[in-house]
Amino acid sequence: MDDKKANNKNVTGLMIDEEKKKGIFYFFYYVGRLLWKDKTGLVGLLIFLSVIISAVFSPYLAPYDPLKQNLKISKTPPVWYKNGSIHHIFGTDDLGRDILSRIIYGSRVSLTVGFFGVLIASSLGMIIGLVSGYVGGKLDSVIMGAVNLILALPYLVFVVFIAAILGRSLLNVILIFGFTDIPIFVRVTRGEVMQMREEGFIEAAQSVGATTSRILFKHIIPNLIGPIVTLATFEMSAMIFYESGLGFLGLSVPPSVPSWGNMLSVGRQYITIYPWIAAYPGLAIVYTGLGINLLGDWLRDVLDPRLRRAKK
Amino acid sequence: MGRFKKFLWLLLLPSLLMLFVNAGSKEEAKKEKVLRVALTANPNSIETATGDERNATNVGSQIFDSLVWIDDEGKFTPMLAESWEIKNNATEFIFHLRKGVKFHNGNPFNADDVIFTWKRGTGENIKWRDAFTGIKSAEKIDDYTVRFTTEKPNAILLGRIADVWAILDKEYYEEVGGEDGYLAKPIGTGPFMLKEWVKGDRIVLVKNPNYWWKGYPKVDKIIFRPIPELSTRVAAIQSGDIDIAIRLTSENAEQLKGNPKIKVISYAKDRVYYIAFNNLTTGKGTPIENKLVRQAMNWAVDVDSIIKSLFNGYANPITGFIVKGNLGYDPSIKPYGYDPEKAKKLLAEAGYPNGFKIKMAAPTGAYMHFEQVCQAIANYLKDVGIDVDLQFMDSGKYWDLEAKKQLPPLFGDSWSNAIIDAYPRLLGALGGWNASYSSWYDPKIDQMLQQIVQTGNDKDRAKLYIKLQKYMLDNPPFIYLYQPVTFEAINANVKNYKPRAAESYYLKGVTISD
Amino acid sequence: MKRYIISRLLQAIALVIGVLFIVFIMLHLTGDPASLMVSRNASPEDIEKIRHEFGFDKPIIVQFANFLKGAFIGDFGMSLRYRQPAMKLIIERLPATIQLATAALLFSLIIGIPIGLLGGSNPNTGLDLVARTTGLIGQTIPSFWLALMLIVVFAVKLRWFPTFGRETVKLLGINFPTKSIVLPAFALSLFTTGQLARFTRSSVLEIKNEDYIRTAYSKGLPRRIIYVRHILKNAAIPIISIVGVQFSYLLSGSIYIETIFSWPGLGQLLAEAVFTRDFGLVQATAFFTSVVVVVLHLLTDIAYGLADPRIKYR
Repeated sequence: MDDKKANNKNVTGLMIDEEKKKGIFYFFYYVGRLLWKDKTGLVGLLIFLSVIISAVFSPYLAPYDPLKQNLKISKTPPVWYKNGSIHHIFGTDDLGRDILSRIIYGSRVSLTVGFFGVLIASSLGMIIGLVSGYVGGKLDSVIMGAVNLILALPYLVFVVFIAAILGRSLLNVILIFGFTDIPIFVRVTRGEVMQMREEGFIEAAQSVGATTSRILFKHIIPNLIGPIVTLATFEMSAMIFYESGLGFLGLSVPPSVPSWGNMLSVGRQYITIYPWIAAYPGLAIVYTGLGINLLGDWLRDVLDPRLRRAKK
Repeated sequence: MGRFKKFLWLLLLPSLLMLFVNAGSKEEAKKEKVLRVALTANPNSIETATGDERNATNVGSQIFDSLVWIDDEGKFTPMLAESWEIKNNATEFIFHLRKGVKFHNGNPFNADDVIFTWKRGTGENIKWRDAFTGIKSAEKIDDYTVRFTTEKPNAILLGRIADVWAILDKEYYEEVGGEDGYLAKPIGTGPFMLKEWVKGDRIVLVKNPNYWWKGYPKVDKIIFRPIPELSTRVAAIQSGDIDIAIRLTSENAEQLKGNPKIKVISYAKDRVYYIAFNNLTTGKGTPIENKLVRQAMNWAVDVDSIIKSLFNGYANPITGFIVKGNLGYDPSIKPYGYDPEKAKKLLAEAGYPNGFKIKMAAPTGAYMHFEQVCQAIANYLKDVGIDVDLQFMDSGKYWDLEAKKQLPPLFGDSWSNAIIDAYPRLLGALGGWNASYSSWYDPKIDQMLQQIVQTGNDKDRAKLYIKLQKYMLDNPPFIYLYQPVTFEAINANVKNYKPRAAESYYLKGVTISD
Repeated sequence: MKRYIISRLLQAIALVIGVLFIVFIMLHLTGDPASLMVSRNASPEDIEKIRHEFGFDKPIIVQFANFLKGAFIGDFGMSLRYRQPAMKLIIERLPATIQLATAALLFSLIIGIPIGLLGGSNPNTGLDLVARTTGLIGQTIPSFWLALMLIVVFAVKLRWFPTFGRETVKLLGINFPTKSIVLPAFALSLFTTGQLARFTRSSVLEIKNEDYIRTAYSKGLPRRIIYVRHILKNAAIPIISIVGVQFSYLLSGSIYIETIFSWPGLGQLLAEAVFTRDFGLVQATAFFTSVVVVVLHLLTDIAYGLADPRIKYR
């Protein structure tokens, strides 16, 4: 099986169309088998897909408009309680909005924040880390100094600052996480680049006259994909977690927007009386985090450098 | 392996220790009467003229005395002033001071301290200096008599003195090098003395054995603990870790009702919540300048529903900035009701049959449920065609912008009051360019307010307040919302705890039964 | 070696000044606190006077220069709200913060590492499932939500712990915390426990099947020695970096846990300062936390060097 894989994926020359077609199908087949081998990865993927479906198809899945208030039925408990109603399976919040609908729509905020936040942090982080690790020397010191500066910056001051200057919006939350997570991607990228330097790959490539861009794109970046993608999935889950923290402080997206963080923040004062207002968004966060992390674990096992190097 | 095991024990031992170490002995605590009070925020200062808000000034009220006190029945009672005279249409105030009173450090109290307190109170960085700056000059007639003169007639000065003034010891102030030294370790003439202030953790006050008012205080010690989180406050009173917990919700009250060890108190706070209109800056040229539009907005909001669902019915709709307990309150004046049809009609009459767009702002983390209230209001306005663009911002930025008059034409806020006259909050919200937190100016209102503060006679003043109320309902500078009812829970053996509508309390009379 | 230390020191100073400058700019761009320092009945002139007295109307560079001048002699300015020296307020909160951070770290080390070890050495068994679940739950559960649940169950219902606050007893001259520290420390430790469990587990898995481990087994070395000498050493690097990063966060205080448990730590102090625009206090806290980060970074690097002699200092 390894041979076949090497044939299809690592051929640097041209691929005949037919082989290419076989290649793509085979790719999915291969991934499917890997997932089946380690079922937790499969579970993770299914969970993650369920959240994605919930986010994409929210208008079709949610029974109500998440913004619709109905003060007369506020704080209704879930259907299995005494005063519960079949009309609102998970109950309503203090403004009478349906909790199930808000959880479904809330996945949009969480996934958007997680995905774009990680996209910004990983792409910027990777570029900076590449430059820093590859060029080395003084530039590296300066860049690492700046990265450490970002790490040492008090998070709360930064968040309040953004909220005060730019206001509270989805975009600003994405920017906050995108920015504060750059250091971790820089470090990992730089670490990998430096390891490759230590192991002599870069020198060897340079000695046969490879240009910088060739070295970067043919050798370094493919080796980065594994760790970066793995890290990206974990950070995505972390960002969903952080969004709830921001909601707690009242600095996340505006209160009317359904986000799990906001729901937790509203629910926290009722936690001993109407626990469902906070319980279900909390569960949603754990559920999504679980899925993403299981997927990340599986990705890491699959993309493990030791396995990769063995194939080379 | 040896090293690893040793390392493990190194980690385990302190952790195990933590699990079992227990604080103090309960024995000692039984003999002393200790009152444990929960605050909802960390006080920045425990002296009343510099305390940010009630959490701070309430601690100060136990340490300091003022010249006069408003007793539980609302009457002015002699404190450090045994008697006083108000002359010349409330421009001259003469106080006859009490003899034989000593500060906590033993220094004697006399007229120098009073005059010094006033002078210091006018300082730039004293938060509540407006309770002092009304006085133009002070004169020491003798060691126990002081005369204060004000620029204009000031009918509310005595009330402000009762609420804000804390008489300081001039000699101690000079001894500890001024403001910072005094505030770090304050001393006063009050029923309790400061023993310990661990910031963020606790403030411990002990009984003043030489308090001039014989028979007080009744308890030996008060321990104030800040507990900002609502659910934690509730848990603390449930578990008996706290004797007095304030600022709870109606749901908490329901929760605690059946508990025989806890007594729930509720009262209407002297605080009004409203949506303000702006006709000074951002509101100029917008539809809200039209009286009919503002009336319409008042009819469009179903305050009763908001009260019912967000406060479980525990709030009163308001008719203006004067509530029950304030001078000039008239129960026959009724609040706006809920009439969206009438609202739409008024809008059409004003020339906006299809409504209009307008911006609104609300603070987060400032007041209980207020974010929900503002969302509900935006929704109601939308129902009658007014498309509200609601923005939330954190309270620090919010009040900064409010003071700069840069908030949108509609914004939510609230104002409390501590004396029988609602004048301070009326002036504060309607003073126009002269008042930082005002966004509305109406010359008629201004004229009425000026008349009010210069009318010494209570009955006449009450009539003027009623006239103002009626005008402010017809030409509303606000969307009138509600006056909240607050809930507090106390340990069932705490007696004689009587908080005021301003959420202030005086603990010298509180007792703990066995 | 000397050159290295000097260069690290210079880097550290540059970092601290950089952080201070950025925080300064951010604070001042959000407006000035003058309006928050006066009563609601103040006039605009009053606010202007305060603004002038505290120098908020001077250009930012001038204000920052003044602040730095003071910082050099150890004067970090006054807290605008408390009217006390800002550093003093921070130092007062240190014991509580350090104790909570240490306790949380202890919990996560004691719970996280052994679980990770057990899981990694017995993959795909029930133990492994426990390890993975701990890892996952720890990292995904919102800590403040859990904190409230802990209070309700363990403090109110079971009465095992106080509901809130920090109680201390005098042991050997210092204020040692009582069991009042357990609930907050536990809630705080969750995230780190999760991370440690996972990384320990994967470190074990990584080298479990390596040749040199198999060699050691076949040589007949007892399992425990293999664990300590080889596996833990391999796990040491990620563990050290996790501990380093987490401890610096913990030392800066956690606003969530401290608010819910009313623990008088730095997190609450900073949050209060930020929300009330108490510039002096925010600056002093920013200085403190950046120094902590720098020091911990240095310690972590030293620990790396000890754990893995292959790492050279450049």
